Amino acid sequence: MARAVTTTVAVAAGFALAATLVGCGEIDQTAKVEKVYAGKKDTRASDDVRFGGDRKKWEAALVERSKGQNEYLRTDVK
Amino acid sequence: MARMKFICDAERCIECNGCATACKNEHEVPWGVNRRRLVTVNDGKPGERSISVACMHCSDAPCMAVCPVDCFYKTEEGVVLHDKDLCIGCGYCFYACPFGAPQFPQAGAFGLRGKMDKCTFCAGGPEENHSKAEFTKYGRNRIAEGKLPACAEMCSTKALLAGDGAVIESIYKTRVQRRGKGDEIWGWAMAYKRGDALVAGAKS
Repeated sequence: MARAVTTTVAVAAGFALAATLVGCGEIDQTAKVEKVYAGKKDTRASDDVRFGGDRKKWEAALVERSKGQNEYLRTDVK
Repeated sequence: MARMKFICDAERCIECNGCATACKNEHEVPWGVNRRRLVTVNDGKPGERSISVACMHCSDAPCMAVCPVDCFYKTEEGVVLHDKDLCIGCGYCFYACPFGAPQFPQAGAFGLRGKMDKCTFCAGGPEENHSKAEFTKYGRNRIAEGKLPACAEMCSTKALLAGDGAVIESIYKTRVQRRGKGDEIWGWAMAYKRGDALVAGAKS
């Protein structure tokens, strides 16, 4: 009789522990719905008349311009 | 192409406000709206540092995540822009932004919040490039002209760098390696003696 009671208490304690640990689990809170832009379509920067839609030309112009910010290249100090 | 980014070098920024002025002038930004501004810590004390802050065009932009009307979009170059025709001026993006980038013009006698305005990386907005509508709503589109943002190009000490992330990262890396750190970049020796040595070395 005493053994049966001990077993029951042990099983109940096991369930209680499992239930407690489940409560500590982390629920994924990442939004499942992707945000979709609802506004007007923009024109690509490279589609400008200066570059005629040539993306590589536009990128090269911008990289060249960016490098101009490096004064170590602009001066003769090596 | 990698993403367009800004870097502000706190060791170089002299708090001249040239960037903020260039931005205001380039886009004819109205009174009370500051797309770019200077933040200074330890003002007037040793160790004073300033940085120029505007929209950082986040990779995972919180303003985009919270906008209830989904008026934000990201260009192929990673520039975060928005459609003012959709914006309802709710201000959620202002609370979400860690940099305080979204600005709201005061509209009307009762100070009602107008449509959000922010740094566009000088890339205009969802209107025809160089159109009057684009200039009025978003400012000039320098990126489509193959130019960089006016703030960075105007920066006298080149503290503020803008452009392709990989390029400006390389410029910054070279700079940090050349100038050293800590006491090496302060005082008379850096301003005169070390500078003279560099120039003499280059001439010989």
